[in-house]
Amino acid sequence: MPKLQRRDYYDTARDMNWAFSYVSEDEVFPEELSKSFGIHGEQWWGWDEPYKLTYREYVHNQAGKDDGIYSIRSTIARSNLYDNLDAGWKSAIKAHYGAIPVPEYFASIGEARMARFGRAAAWRNMAAFGTLDECRHGQAQIYFPYCLLAKDPQFDWAHKAMHTNEWGVIAARSLFDDMFTANDAVSTAIQLTFTFETGFTNLQFLGMASDALHVGDIEFGALISSIQTDEARHSQQGEPTLKIMINNGRKAEAQKMVDQMFWRSWKLFALLTGISMDYYTPLESRTMSFKEFMQDWICRQFMDQFKDLGMNVPWYWEEHFLPELDWVHHAYHMGVWFWRPTVWWNPDAGVSAAERDWLEQKYPGWNDRFGKLWDVIGDNVRTGQIEKTYPATLPIVCNCCHIPICSPSIGKAPRITTHNGRKLNFCCEVCEWVWKSQPERYDTHLSVVDRFLAGHIQPPTLEGALQYMGITPDVAGNDAQAYAWNGASRLAAE
Amino acid sequence: MALFPLQANFRGDFVVLLIPVDDGDDMSIVADKVAQHAVGLRVAERSAPKCVYYNGRELPSSMTIAQSGIQPMDWIEVAYV
Repeated sequence: MPKLQRRDYYDTARDMNWAFSYVSEDEVFPEELSKSFGIHGEQWWGWDEPYKLTYREYVHNQAGKDDGIYSIRSTIARSNLYDNLDAGWKSAIKAHYGAIPVPEYFASIGEARMARFGRAAAWRNMAAFGTLDECRHGQAQIYFPYCLLAKDPQFDWAHKAMHTNEWGVIAARSLFDDMFTANDAVSTAIQLTFTFETGFTNLQFLGMASDALHVGDIEFGALISSIQTDEARHSQQGEPTLKIMINNGRKAEAQKMVDQMFWRSWKLFALLTGISMDYYTPLESRTMSFKEFMQDWICRQFMDQFKDLGMNVPWYWEEHFLPELDWVHHAYHMGVWFWRPTVWWNPDAGVSAAERDWLEQKYPGWNDRFGKLWDVIGDNVRTGQIEKTYPATLPIVCNCCHIPICSPSIGKAPRITTHNGRKLNFCCEVCEWVWKSQPERYDTHLSVVDRFLAGHIQPPTLEGALQYMGITPDVAGNDAQAYAWNGASRLAAE
Repeated sequence: MALFPLQANFRGDFVVLLIPVDDGDDMSIVADKVAQHAVGLRVAERSAPKCVYYNGRELPSSMTIAQSGIQPMDWIEVAYV
């Protein structure tokens, strides 16, 4: 019996839209799970995905992808490839594994919500694939580090991290809960698939896969490449959703959602990817700086998309976002390194003489702003005063991004405000804008400093904080290179 | 005399810190308490006096927290003069 070609049956099979008569639209698509933005019923039926796929094709493709990555894992397990990787790169993948795999499962919840509460059958079909994608990503990215557990207990945090109150995890979980675990279907399509995946991770995974191959980490490169192929498909749920909103007069609402989530995503991206690219990736394997990556890949891609869709660049682009490309991840890096016992990987200082030359070349003024501080740290290492390279208090964290409040210049105060009698701290005007745009959504969430001051962390010491964060001595971060960078370092003044 | 949490940074440092002081501390003590978390750790030590800035003005070194109008978790900056 001849098989029909996909084009002969695809639209008929997927377009299972119908007008409800026995139930109301609101019963089928409750607002809190599937916010309509005032767009109803058949107005959503024109939703059309650019990437057509049947379930049969999906299963076939995915089985092939899994065969590929698991056989590479199995082959490399017999080698000493991991042992020979650069210590900084190992830290980059440990940071990734703690922050990403379990949130992939969270993302499958968001995708499943769209698979049920998406307002068009074609969309629900794509989201069903997205749900399965995210489960696959969670499984693979937990299994791969699990296989490395015998070599290094820090890989335990691939599974453990998201179940703790470690400060970086609080920041990541806050973002991901906002974006997809606790978001309605329409907003998830705009904020997860359009903003985060299309804007950031789809491109980031391409860059990470390329970096992995440069440093010789074939296993991680293959894994990330495989995941990226799924991202490239399911991230395309965002654009058709955005088009429906724009065509129905809801451009302003869509713009606001994009602006909010681009900023929140940027902050975590700078923390994880910024540090990994400019400090943890071995110098000889760096193909571009984080700033160049952001400018060439993320900004240009994002700008092109916006122009194509008739959207505006976020209001904070020139005044806040572009200036942060020059400094914010350098500050985050110094914080992560100085507070290294609070993370589950070993931060690589990345400030040997050659690395400092590279940083100054890529970020003119780096020596004057950050190199001077590293000089003092380096002096303490050289003179054996290691105790001076550890913190004795907590940094203040932002009540929106939950990352320590850093400053690009002298005398720049954090933004302190009060909401219903509660004092709030923000690192910048944009984080304050995001928080104040939905205070009812954020007001009950306590930052790690709020928890400390409220007495949730006992004893109220750094040791008590580590215990609260779930950090145990076997995983507490230390300098990745055992301070070898300092032997090759030199003063900024020289 | 009561524990009094502040947000503070030492000029030239990169991060805002949680600094516990006492409401009876004067500004020279407050400056030292902030400095001990930054100077010699990341900010180069200098043989110069330090002062506390609050809402854009320098506070006298003999003024106490209780006299200054500073509220818990307000932000101060400490700098070498």
